[in-house]
Amino acid sequence: MRSGPGGSPELIRVRNLRGGYGKLLVLENVSMEVLEGEILLIVGRSGCGKTTLMNYLLGLARPWAGQILYRGSPLVFDGPSSLTAVRRRWGVLFQSGALLASLSLLENVALPLTEFTELDASEADLVAMSKLALVGLEEFADSLPLEVSGGMQKRAGLARALAMDPDVLFFDEPSAGLDPVTSGELDELIRRLNGDLGTTMVIVTHELASIFAVSDRVIMLDAEEKGIIAEGTAHQLRDSTGDERVSAFFNRRPVAGGAAR
Amino acid sequence: MGQRPSITIGRAGLTITGALSLSELEQLRDAFDSLAREPSEEVTVDLEGMEASMASAEAAIYGGLRKLRQAGARVMVRAAPDGFLERFEKLEKELCPEARPRLRSRTFSWFEDVGDSVLETSATLRGLAAFGINSLLSFARVVFGPGKLRWKEAFYYMEQAGVKAVPIISILCWLLGTVLGYMSGFQLRDFGAETFMPDLVGLSMVWEISPLLAAVIVAGRSGSAFAAELGTMKVRQEVDALEVMGFDVKGYLVVPKVVALLFVMPFLTLLADLFALLGGMLIGGWYLGMPPEIFVQRLAFVLLPIDFYWGMGKSLVYAVIVATVGCFMGMRVRGGAAEVGRSTTSAVVVSIFLVILADALIAILFMYVRPAVTV
Repeated sequence: MRSGPGGSPELIRVRNLRGGYGKLLVLENVSMEVLEGEILLIVGRSGCGKTTLMNYLLGLARPWAGQILYRGSPLVFDGPSSLTAVRRRWGVLFQSGALLASLSLLENVALPLTEFTELDASEADLVAMSKLALVGLEEFADSLPLEVSGGMQKRAGLARALAMDPDVLFFDEPSAGLDPVTSGELDELIRRLNGDLGTTMVIVTHELASIFAVSDRVIMLDAEEKGIIAEGTAHQLRDSTGDERVSAFFNRRPVAGGAAR
Repeated sequence: MGQRPSITIGRAGLTITGALSLSELEQLRDAFDSLAREPSEEVTVDLEGMEASMASAEAAIYGGLRKLRQAGARVMVRAAPDGFLERFEKLEKELCPEARPRLRSRTFSWFEDVGDSVLETSATLRGLAAFGINSLLSFARVVFGPGKLRWKEAFYYMEQAGVKAVPIISILCWLLGTVLGYMSGFQLRDFGAETFMPDLVGLSMVWEISPLLAAVIVAGRSGSAFAAELGTMKVRQEVDALEVMGFDVKGYLVVPKVVALLFVMPFLTLLADLFALLGGMLIGGWYLGMPPEIFVQRLAFVLLPIDFYWGMGKSLVYAVIVATVGCFMGMRVRGGAAEVGRSTTSAVVVSIFLVILADALIAILFMYVRPAVTV
């Protein structure tokens, strides 16, 4: 297996990815890698293609060109079931939590366990309860998603993402819609889970506080470049003077002549 | 505090001073209207004394200037604030239909609209066909292969789509049988042929109307509910979550609904038949004085068991259509809540259309299959 620049083995590699919506080109010639055990943040202003890139990584959309390799093997987008085996090694926390509204938090977390493992229902419930305890929600196991707060829904979504002990966890805007305290707690949880379980994490966000709180490495995308314009630690990017767009983003400064998107 | 606003009509035109606000809008419009009613060749609008005003006041002045122009006056604006005239000219270009270049004639645009509709419909039908095939494969995997059918969900949808539809289907079919019996008895009595009323009610209800009505009611109740449920799940990213967890989404979400309708539709159709015949029998006794046993004897003579089986059999086709279209419309939702509403409407319209189309095709086939009964 190839190694990334830091010496950690490379888990995911993206090669010359190109894609968009309809006739709109969003990403062009994007190449990057995710290293095992790291917390990688994909950041950038609204509309820069963060979520598009995430959708390609998750196989929710098919790129126009390019290749994504997972542990050295290319992901094949030739049918709904072609990615199934790989996906079961992944966990995803969507922006809204994406819990099934008709199931309780415990049933939501137990869902992949009852479906894809040999565990019987009581064993699956036991594992699910331990995952809920990991995110501090064991008391709300029987609540429906709409009966708990947005922050709790996200934590339950995280517990579900952790249910199958994934190799890699993807987060789409984990702080969106959360108050600063809850957002901070979620950041702390992400950091703790990475430390305790060693799970690789890929997080798409534009929340500066989260970027500085959790990231090992940051990749910044830009809408005009349609690709990556900077890479490094959050502090390196904040202090860099080379690119005005990067410096403006990390220092919360308006870009000269730039209108809010 | 700015100068008190004033709007004065003079010999040369209109003079506006002070900072205008919402309370002056009506006066402003009246002033421009009175000038536009009897326009002189040249009208001057003097803005020298006008102070920074609300955007709505500026918009009202734009509207007034346009009215004057349309009335044929040459309009001179004196001492307009910075950028005022540029903004007006720009708006004129964007808003005034005469100023806009006419790229297409109305006829061309009509053809273009028809073309767009054809392309959109063909894309929808292609999508529906692909979705139907994929769902069929998932169905085969779940029923014959390694996949697990979620019986709990299937029973839930059987209750929702079947058990809860019993009252409405019973009442409507009973009413329809009654109306059909009354109308046909009314017509046949003139010819002394009222004894054939059970033939007419029995054959038309059992062959056509009961299966069709049951399917239309299920499309309205359950097809729309399936579309709304899946559409909402799409909006809330629940479908994406299932997909990335490695679920066969169609097997998990669509197949239980199809199975549920396949189970309940034949029974709903049979129930619709029975209530329609009951309605016919009651009206026969009340209106034509036909004893129930005569009605039943006549039915037994004219209706064959195949007629009931055929109705129940074709309800299976309707079940597949209603469930597949409902789920397809839900799964194609992109965007927000408004799209869920649109997909729900489309689910009902398209499934009723396809059910009636299928009914027409099946009716032709039936003529070749059914043995004739000599009266």
